[in-house]
Amino acid sequence: MSKRIWQHPEIPAEETTVSWRSVGQLEGSNEFRQWLDREFPASAAAMKDEADAETSRRSFLKLMGASSALAGLSMVACRRAEKYTVPYTQAPEWVIPGKALYYASAMPRATGATPVVVTTFEGRPTKVAPNTLHPDSDGTDAFVQASVLDMYSPSRSQKVLHHGKVASRAELEKALAEAAASGKLGFVFGADESPTRTRLSKELAAKYAGAKFYSYEALAPAATAVRTVADFAKADRIIAFDCDFASLDLQGPVTPFFDRRKPEGKGYKGKRDVNAMNRLYAVESIFSLTGGMADHRLRVEPSKVFAVAAAVARKLNVSHPLVASAPAVSDEKTQAWVDAAAEDLLASKGKSLALAGSRTAPALKAVVQAINETLAAIGSTLHVLQSDNAGFGTLADLKADLDSAAVEYVFLLTPANPAFDAPADLDFVTSLHKAKASFHLGLRTDATAHAATWHIPAAHYLESWSDARSAKGLHTLIQPMILPLYDECVSELELLSALLEGKLTTGEESSAFAAVRKTFGGDNAAWKKALREGFVTSATSAKGTLAEVKADAVSYQQASVESLDVIFATDGSIFDGRWIDNAWLQESPDPISKLTWDNAALVAPKTAKALGIYDQVIALEDPRAASPVDGEAGNRRAPIIKVSLAGKEIEIPVLIAFGLAENTIVLPVGYGQGYDAEDELNRGPLNATHVGLVGVNRGVNVFPLRTAATSYLAQGAKVALTDKRYSVALTQEHHAMYGRALAREISTLKGDKGSFDKQYDGVAKQGNDSHAPENISLYKQEGSSTWDPDKNGNAKPNLSDELHQWAMNIDLSSCMGCNACLVACQAENNIPVVGKEQVAKGRAMHWIRMDRYFAQNPSTPIAQRWCHSLWLVCSAKALLAKPFAQSMQRFTPKTVSTRWPTTDALELAIARTTAPTRLVVSTISTTTSAIRWWLTTFTKDLLVSNKWARLRTFSATRTSRCVCAV
Amino acid sequence: MAAFTVYATPKATDVGYMPSQPIPFSHKIHVDQLGLDCRYCHSFVDQSDHSNLPSANTCWNCHQHVKRDSPKLEPLHRAMDPNHPLYDGKPIEWVKIHKAPDYVKFSHSAHVNRGVSCVSCHGQVDQMEVVYHAKPHSMGFCLDCHRNPENEVRPLEEVFNLKYDPAEYLKKHVVLNDKGDRITDPKEFGKKLTDVFQLQPRESCATCHH
Repeated sequence: MSKRIWQHPEIPAEETTVSWRSVGQLEGSNEFRQWLDREFPASAAAMKDEADAETSRRSFLKLMGASSALAGLSMVACRRAEKYTVPYTQAPEWVIPGKALYYASAMPRATGATPVVVTTFEGRPTKVAPNTLHPDSDGTDAFVQASVLDMYSPSRSQKVLHHGKVASRAELEKALAEAAASGKLGFVFGADESPTRTRLSKELAAKYAGAKFYSYEALAPAATAVRTVADFAKADRIIAFDCDFASLDLQGPVTPFFDRRKPEGKGYKGKRDVNAMNRLYAVESIFSLTGGMADHRLRVEPSKVFAVAAAVARKLNVSHPLVASAPAVSDEKTQAWVDAAAEDLLASKGKSLALAGSRTAPALKAVVQAINETLAAIGSTLHVLQSDNAGFGTLADLKADLDSAAVEYVFLLTPANPAFDAPADLDFVTSLHKAKASFHLGLRTDATAHAATWHIPAAHYLESWSDARSAKGLHTLIQPMILPLYDECVSELELLSALLEGKLTTGEESSAFAAVRKTFGGDNAAWKKALREGFVTSATSAKGTLAEVKADAVSYQQASVESLDVIFATDGSIFDGRWIDNAWLQESPDPISKLTWDNAALVAPKTAKALGIYDQVIALEDPRAASPVDGEAGNRRAPIIKVSLAGKEIEIPVLIAFGLAENTIVLPVGYGQGYDAEDELNRGPLNATHVGLVGVNRGVNVFPLRTAATSYLAQGAKVALTDKRYSVALTQEHHAMYGRALAREISTLKGDKGSFDKQYDGVAKQGNDSHAPENISLYKQEGSSTWDPDKNGNAKPNLSDELHQWAMNIDLSSCMGCNACLVACQAENNIPVVGKEQVAKGRAMHWIRMDRYFAQNPSTPIAQRWCHSLWLVCSAKALLAKPFAQSMQRFTPKTVSTRWPTTDALELAIARTTAPTRLVVSTISTTTSAIRWWLTTFTKDLLVSNKWARLRTFSATRTSRCVCAV
Repeated sequence: MAAFTVYATPKATDVGYMPSQPIPFSHKIHVDQLGLDCRYCHSFVDQSDHSNLPSANTCWNCHQHVKRDSPKLEPLHRAMDPNHPLYDGKPIEWVKIHKAPDYVKFSHSAHVNRGVSCVSCHGQVDQMEVVYHAKPHSMGFCLDCHRNPENEVRPLEEVFNLKYDPAEYLKKHVVLNDKGDRITDPKEFGKKLTDVFQLQPRESCATCHH
């Protein structure tokens, strides 16, 4: 199978920074060597037998369900005729068959709605993109990009259920009438805000004296009177405590944060000014995407983050009782870091900002708020807005009201899944059953749908009239792109209106439209303008005043190998579990661990060694040994550990993670919602009806360990190895070097290795390329001295067309590796998902891939390991476009950023980073093995001869969070 | 070899395919005798990749007045006439004749806006009582024109004139070549137009397969 095996010369010690992508590479494991040597793993060669082939075909069709429906293949509701051409009867206004129509809308979310522009073809939404007209436009992330697939998901809930059995709409309406007659109603909303919902809930409160309102999402903090929004445009210095504000724990629009990371400012339009750049200090225990962007990152156990925050506060002379009582930072290096950070923050007083993770302990939030007051951040870099959800109760309040029968009928309208994700000690389901009837509105028939008396299939946000508040509180409109695919679908506003009007009207006559229109008021011209643009500037949340955070003093015990800290982490692929049935998200590799289709416990290498896990993961075998059974690709197995915490136990596969704090175990939440008889670990059948074909048998449920008091951080966990193993589909080692230095690096330090330009010229000859023969392309346009040379016998320029060339450059100042472009590309091009088994064999079909490199600064002692990372992306098609310039336009993202790292940018990066002395410059690699090798030639040309400068580049017309085509 | 046999034979190219349609619509009557422009019905052919079939309301524009009672128009009444006993408002299902496979991207608008007429690919539709598949639409057929566009390209105002004759056109219009001489040779005229339109039709695979 090996295509080429290059025997590289060893790189002399101290020659380059040690950089690696996985433990396997770091340790030179046999497994990684096989990935290195072979372009395709052995098991990719052929299906084992007919049965294997049949299984693969079956599971492919299963997983492809939603994608095929999106392409209009499988669903009767929107089938495209094979033999007939069926034009409209009455041609709808604006629709040109084959041309996209775009509408402004928004996706409601707990951290503020994401304003989007939706692409529709013949009335069918296919793609969402950021609405850049919107003042709070903040790009989109992978969740927003993948949301369109949910609408078409075959496992989407389609029928009204009564005690889990199909019931009629009439029966449901009867039950709603009964509830209305009782008047003791409880409404559980999500943590998002909606002006119309707020208006309707006030009307409901007026109509039903017994109506009570709650807000619940598993990973969102309880509703408060005000909420804070960070203004990164004004923040010169930022310190984040366990806060992944750039990705999974948004604190406000984050695009301005990235604009401030370019010396020339937004769009590289201004004059170069190093001092205009911001600086980020991150104190964290998990290695988050935000931490990866940090200029200075401090890796500490989660239980010590509070002490570090208190130390910063002390240095800033913050007077707060919690600061006085907090333990001191004992370690000198940490203290030095704290002192430097605090000094820097203070020097930018009024322009600095401290952030605490939204799920962290109240004590930490109180200290961070006190720091912000001292830094004069409030009103400057931190805005305080009144919340529409002020006064809403928590899930615990609902439980108390159910227990005391103050609420008899409960409406679960939250996108969360409380029967599954509520704190384990709350025992919510028992109380839910005390209600006379409960109504669950949801897109999936999840655990809560089964626990509730009634389940009502929800209309997707792309099928509903609604409105929402964006991050900074702008009234943002949500309009339907299509009628609900299933007749019985009901939206949240329609259900609320039904309780007000006594009649449930959905579909074409939707009562939600009238409700949204009434909230908006105004004349029709203003309404049309607002619909076209998607927002109303005049109706923004009012300014609020920050109240003091009530918090008791906390004391944490010292974490150790015997008593580990546990973090219940937000999952980068399925968030809190709500997207477990979304195949695009399941297959997109976790941004850090690169795990697909499952969750796994993460442990830092040193702790793993102490726990005896490390040797289990890295079977340090003789590299010359024959392929081990348990080595390659589809055969990769992770050891399973038993995690015990406060009397509860779970078994979960474990992975080694770099950049993670020691004595800490990270448990990503949301997985393990249902298993069927085919489960690898024989956990099923268990709740198999709670998930669809995509989400079944996926991962391990860690919620049983999580209590109300330990919703983010728990202490005192014990870990024991079991003899079980579980297959994991990791993409991190896929598409490795194959004999080429995909990550190339040069130093910007003067006098180190010669001038920057000299090194830059030699960058193509790093690693194996220093002795490998030149690649020769099959394509004459490629340019080669042996194929179709010019009259002097040299290779012709790389370009077949001087005018039209396509290139996709990734702005490394903006890219944090969040997967948004990967999923966007999948949506735009309808790229198939292949499933866990095939991903493990290296057959993932993503056109964009993100590699993560970890680097260790040789001059820094091992004890303080700096992990800075780099995300390198390539669209195979974008490069393929080269010889076929014009026609590839359709495939090439229309908006690409224009920055190639220049000497200046690198020097600046060095200037503001103290620890790493070398930076990895750039890498382009490709996804598709078959075309990889000749693309590499192109890559080299890009790097070596500055030909990229001749490529036409495009300014980002649709700026996004990572400023690529998302 | 098998692929060649399949894709190069008339069976694959569908030449001569002439299915009966729900309404026996005659292009000869509508285009040749009545003089309707192609774009009255195929209204987005110059705007979209697809050339749309007319929605039923387009037919109804005239046929609610003209030949209203013809039994041939029953499917139209079903779709459009609420007073008709069989009215259901459902669209008419026309049988598809020309179909580019999924792996081929073809843009109608790119072609008709650059001087390639309907007739180049669809034949003399204006003379057809019943539309049939007139040309092979094989890859070789596409490439013939992409290699020699001067044989097909015509002035933009003549694209929808299916009776266009370049020799006649050159008699009526004075077209000069670069030297300032009047062009009389249709081939030379084609080359001139190719030049004026800056046509550079591509032959690489990804031009159409992407």
